[in-house]
Amino acid sequence: MHQKDSSHTRTLHFFGFVFLSVLLLTADHKRAIPAARTALNIVTYPLKVLVDIPYSTTYTLTRFFTSHKKLSQENEELRRLVNIYSARDQKYRSIAAQNQRLRESLKTAKMFDESFLLANILEVDTDRFHHRVTINKGTQDLVFEGQIALFGNSIYGQVISTSPHSATVMQITDPKHSTPVRNARTNETALAVGTGKTNTVSLEHIENLEDVKTGDLYISSGLGRLFPPDFPVAVVQKKHYNPADSLTTVTAQTVTDFKRSRELLLIWQARNTTEKQ
Amino acid sequence: MEQLTLRFPGAISFSLLIALILSIVHLPDSWQTWRPEWVALAVIHWGILFPKESSYIHAFIAGLLLDALWGSSLGQHALGFVIIHFIAVRMGERIMPKTFSQHFFLVFICVGTYMLVNLWILGITKDKPSDWSYWFPLLSSLLAWPLVHAILNHLHIANKSL
Repeated sequence: MHQKDSSHTRTLHFFGFVFLSVLLLTADHKRAIPAARTALNIVTYPLKVLVDIPYSTTYTLTRFFTSHKKLSQENEELRRLVNIYSARDQKYRSIAAQNQRLRESLKTAKMFDESFLLANILEVDTDRFHHRVTINKGTQDLVFEGQIALFGNSIYGQVISTSPHSATVMQITDPKHSTPVRNARTNETALAVGTGKTNTVSLEHIENLEDVKTGDLYISSGLGRLFPPDFPVAVVQKKHYNPADSLTTVTAQTVTDFKRSRELLLIWQARNTTEKQ
Repeated sequence: MEQLTLRFPGAISFSLLIALILSIVHLPDSWQTWRPEWVALAVIHWGILFPKESSYIHAFIAGLLLDALWGSSLGQHALGFVIIHFIAVRMGERIMPKTFSQHFFLVFICVGTYMLVNLWILGITKDKPSDWSYWFPLLSSLLAWPLVHAILNHLHIANKSL
């Protein structure tokens, strides 16, 4: 009798927990409980840091034990680059000032400056279908949802959730991500949709397919006003015609090498922050 | 009759934590497809051997943490693990604990159901995986089961009594 009773309560518990999970799933799907995810992200962040420790230590150690010769070589190279870039920056400044003057005389909106912050990517995997990474900067460093992340001079992705000391960035190869782009050669617009495969996106909504050639560079178009325009996104790898549904798919390789990235640049555009307020 | 006791209190939570860590350790892309469902295997192990001590709360919290770590919908893996726990406890009473073929069958049913539920949820949230590689972890979980079972066996002691 007692045995039967305990099995009965177990079944009741089971249905209780199933109900609770389904409730959570629906609420999360409707984005009704962002606080729950933030709380869980805060709780699980130490675990992610723990898993990242071996990678970050190897990284630091290899840098520590680099030979003096190699370091001085690198240093020299960087010095050379800084010289070149400072010269270019000077030119850019004069052009920007000129642009500002012209805009003032035309009475159009002023261009705003951008600011950047370097964030470390934690070496932690998500499940196989999502391309998302955790970074070590959060709302305490003024990171916000929808913020754009760059890698060098190419687009990396955007911030999708934040907690005080960390944030999740969705890469442009995530199946749920799409980037408005345009062909640098023909200026035709398209949408770069993530495929879930590393370094691969597919280009959709291309009007003139015959015009697309292998090796074409697609850059961000700035449509949708989320991504800054004219950053390289992907290079067309192959065009594949499928006779079954008479559709042509265009796959492209991203300019960002997601396998190698350990750091990314967060960008603050003054325009975005004013829009948010 | 063998009486099993845990080697230390919190052994179940400890093993689930290790399984969670193993689930997010960075692997090369081609290996990632084959990552066994470590947490699922741990939940099955405790469900079979300690149906009283391990509870739905363990499974549920481990699932929520995995959802946060993997960035999946909140409650997706929690639901999966609660179902696994239910099946493991119910079927664990009916199998011989030392028969390996029965173990494999149980793991197959548990992980299979869990992945099917996950697939439905992914389908509803429009995240559906595109190819058959989705099912690879089922195979690798079966292969990893003897190892997980053997290691987790060290976390409890068998008191032999007549």
